[in-house]
Amino acid sequence: MATTATATAPLTLAPPETRVRPASALLTLARRRAMLTSRTPRQIAVPLLGPALLALILAPALKKATGGLHSHIDYTSFVGVGAVGLVIPLSCVFAGLSVLVDRHSGAQRELLAAPVGRAYLVLGNMLVAIVLSALQALVVVGLSALRGGSFHITGAGVAWFLAAALLFTVFMYGLAETVASRVHKEEDYVGATPVLAILPFFFAGALFPISAMPAALTTIAKLLPLTHALALMRYGFVDPSGRGLHDIWGMGNATTEAWLSLGVVALFAAALVTISVRVFARSAVA
Amino acid sequence: MTHSRDGVPAVEVNGLRKTYPGGVEAVKGIDFVVAPGEVFGLLGPNGAGKSTTIGMLTTTVIPSGGSARLAGFDVAEQPLLARGVSSVVFQDAVVDSSLTGRENLELHARLWGIAAADGRARIDDVSDALGVSELLERPVGSFSGGQRRRLEIARALVSRPRVLFLDEPTVGLDPRIRHELLDVVANLRGREQTTIVLTTHYLDEAERLCDRVAIIRLGEIVAMDSPRALLAGLGNEILELRVSGEAEHAIAELRERGVGGEDAFAIGARLTIPLHGCAPSEALSVLEEARIRVSEIATRTPTLDDVYLNRTGERLAAVA
Repeated sequence: MATTATATAPLTLAPPETRVRPASALLTLARRRAMLTSRTPRQIAVPLLGPALLALILAPALKKATGGLHSHIDYTSFVGVGAVGLVIPLSCVFAGLSVLVDRHSGAQRELLAAPVGRAYLVLGNMLVAIVLSALQALVVVGLSALRGGSFHITGAGVAWFLAAALLFTVFMYGLAETVASRVHKEEDYVGATPVLAILPFFFAGALFPISAMPAALTTIAKLLPLTHALALMRYGFVDPSGRGLHDIWGMGNATTEAWLSLGVVALFAAALVTISVRVFARSAVA
Repeated sequence: MTHSRDGVPAVEVNGLRKTYPGGVEAVKGIDFVVAPGEVFGLLGPNGAGKSTTIGMLTTTVIPSGGSARLAGFDVAEQPLLARGVSSVVFQDAVVDSSLTGRENLELHARLWGIAAADGRARIDDVSDALGVSELLERPVGSFSGGQRRRLEIARALVSRPRVLFLDEPTVGLDPRIRHELLDVVANLRGREQTTIVLTTHYLDEAERLCDRVAIIRLGEIVAMDSPRALLAGLGNEILELRVSGEAEHAIAELRERGVGGEDAFAIGARLTIPLHGCAPSEALSVLEEARIRVSEIATRTPTLDDVYLNRTGERLAAVA
């Protein structure tokens, strides 16, 4: 039923539309998330609490009680890195909760109406999750060092550690965002937290080498990205001989094994980024 | 005039449809064109399809069929460009409550690609115009409902949208705040060079603010014109009567004697008769001669509710 209008208002058009640069959109969205996170201190502190206690209390106590790993690897630093494998998932799962908060508070609708690609809404949040996880991982490693953990810091080692931590964070955030986009209620999301963030921790060799588990569980562990990430992070900071990597791949060359594990974590990260963007884009619009 | 100087309407909707999963047809193929600078209203009760229409135009709802363009940009094919020339004030509060008013406005400016210096000047300008300047440094969580709604309108204007969507902008506000906000919106058209598409189920809002109104019911546009033209269709005066006996018989008598036109109608025992220049006494004489007893008599000027009643058989005020 198109009709002729009877407009009497001024006909001067607004200025021509501007195109938003992707980098600018990404940084703006990350800035928003950083501002919101900084005003929610519990989002920073709560994920850190358990891993910090692991590094500060549990690792030295277990080392004293059990005598450690009975190898050249220091148990305090072994668990210190293992605690990073807990703090990253917890931090990412908490960050994923903010997606639900955005949706329920309505703020997500304003973002969906903005002239930026929907993928940037996911990636902006992810950027902040990466920075926050990195800072929390640094705190955990620092606390472990304070409690006597022995870390071998080299340029290459730092690169392996950072690459593994970064890709694992991307994977975890992608997973958290995907679940947050799929569930409708915060209670359901919180209910999924132990499965997402804590369960893999027990299988991935965070507190002991995966070779210490029954063969079937070891096989399961090898399929988890956390197992590869922890082995890589330890290869970078704790165990240059790459014992954790040998447990996974059974090859002789630690560097080759490290590249293979990095490839596995990268593959998981790429898959979850793709999936999370698609799931978000589909679930955010009716 | 439905087109700008460059020949592009601000909003162009053709056969737009939305069927939600489960088969609910929220919008059933609507068409309308809005000219630059026009204030266009979608008037209808809750569930009429107004918000779904706004959702499709702002690309937050995927159309099931048809097409829509904002300033020439297809919302399905060129969503970023379409979103770039528009802003929306949603029905519900859509703000980051823990951020300050200024931070909310700055984020909008950045997301819409406004340069920093221009954005700052624009924020000062619109917040002054909307009366929220004094509130900008406070967290939005501490704002009242009316203040928050003003901030949301200011935020939408920061990016100088060619098309501004206001989805039920006064719903949930107390009457005083509501009338203040209507003043704000009414003043926008003189101040901002923007096209406004407004949804509402308040008749006075539509009459006061809109150049044209599309009355929408169950996903279909049942009438569309300027409020004045829609009202003119019902004459200058409406006679309402309650009769005993068959109301349809009374309507037929009135029509036969040329007092009531085709737009006269009955709901139950109540007759609504647009007079079109006839005197109320003429109608009463006809009914008296037909021995139809009249128990209540009232005359009044027509409202959009009468238009809605005339087109749909129900009162908007009753279903909204």
